[in-house]
Amino acid sequence: MHIPDGILPASISISGYAITGGVTWYSLRRINKEKNPQEKIPQASLLTAVFFVASLVHIPIVFTSIHLILNGVMGIILGYYAFPAILIGLFFQAVMFGHGGLSTLGINAVIMGIPALFAHHFFQLRKAISPKQQIWTGIWAFIAGGGALAMSASIFAFIVLTNISPDLDAQTEQKAIYISLAGYTIQAIIEGMFAAMLLSYLQRVKPEILKN
Amino acid sequence: MRLAIDKYAYLTSKIHRWEQSSKLVALLALIFAFAFVNKLVLLPAMIAVTIVLYTLSRLPFSFLLNRLCYPGFFIAAVVIFLPFVAGDTVIFSIGWLKIRQEGCLSVVLIVTRFICIFTASLVLFGTAPFLTSIKAMRSLGLSDTIVDMMVLSYRYLEELGEMRTKMQRAMKLRGFQVKIFNFRNLNTRAQLIGSLLIRSYDRSKRIYQAMILRGYGNKSGKYSQNRSKKNDRLSSVAFWITILIASCFIVAEIFYRN
Repeated sequence: MHIPDGILPASISISGYAITGGVTWYSLRRINKEKNPQEKIPQASLLTAVFFVASLVHIPIVFTSIHLILNGVMGIILGYYAFPAILIGLFFQAVMFGHGGLSTLGINAVIMGIPALFAHHFFQLRKAISPKQQIWTGIWAFIAGGGALAMSASIFAFIVLTNISPDLDAQTEQKAIYISLAGYTIQAIIEGMFAAMLLSYLQRVKPEILKN
Repeated sequence: MRLAIDKYAYLTSKIHRWEQSSKLVALLALIFAFAFVNKLVLLPAMIAVTIVLYTLSRLPFSFLLNRLCYPGFFIAAVVIFLPFVAGDTVIFSIGWLKIRQEGCLSVVLIVTRFICIFTASLVLFGTAPFLTSIKAMRSLGLSDTIVDMMVLSYRYLEELGEMRTKMQRAMKLRGFQVKIFNFRNLNTRAQLIGSLLIRSYDRSKRIYQAMILRGYGNKSGKYSQNRSKKNDRLSSVAFWITILIASCFIVAEIFYRN
């Protein structure tokens, strides 16, 4: 779900950087308001590296395999650190492996990072609404993890298909968006299940990670 | 730690001697100028600039080819589908399959832009050690929080990757069926990532304490590079030439009419 260089017009790439700049500024502002913001930097950095490594795990499905995105889980665990963490992860992927690109780094960060912040806020709601049993953590994690990926996929499909070529007619665009969303729905369900299992495991073994 | 991107970072070409923060600004401007190009007539000039840049960097051609493989899949999908679905002017048809002119032209534009931007990015980060690039970003005003996170993530990336590989190998040795998708296997994978998260979380606390003992948080030391006057002159000439070329592309894109 990374948009490579050269696909989008410059106006979209620059807008992506502008939005990313704004959201990063807001995230850093929230981080600096914390009691000891420096204390969490090593923690956020190592978890960023783990998520980067985890995204290389492939899950086999019928004839092919998918790799995990985990932006929802990053939002849940890292809170406002998730947006800079995703930005850094995408930058590493662009520079080290050529996934995504430098001109599209901003828009890719918007696609992955904003749903992660939504997942964070959504998961916070569980404290106020549902009881603390593990099953509820799983349910909230499923919705937050799967929902974040579905949201990212929708933004991705919409941006790519509406900007890839001015000669693409509206009907073809619509069809292509529906087809790609059908594919991503399956991935969102798997990602949601994975998030539920991961968060349930963490709550059982190391609940303090989820205190963010 | 030395990653694949650093493989040719220690050559001595003119581009390698170009000061990294100045290179970062100039080549990013060039990358955005390339992204701005929509007129086919500008593509040969874009290719020529890219060839000159890559030749000056003295990076081997195989380095570029190896790195083009992965993102090539997405581009390949665009190349395969776009000529059939974009546009109205049919230039060739086999039965119900129609190849359209507008789609083909869009493919040419996208692929050229992609290769040129990709090559410029590779020159930007392949001609200096990755840590130097991060330091250059700090000198250009990138937030300390982001730079610190970047350096620490970079430091532990390879180590955690190895840890994951070892854990996956141990799972396989205990009979884990990698190629089967079921609920139990997904749960095992989730626990693998969970264990990795917990280990890193515990380790991060020790790292923070070690960093505090070494004076982390005290504002001292600024990014500086040992630069000779000769390199300064080279950097400033390279900077202004690149900015001029980038501006030419933007001006030509705005004012040139077919």
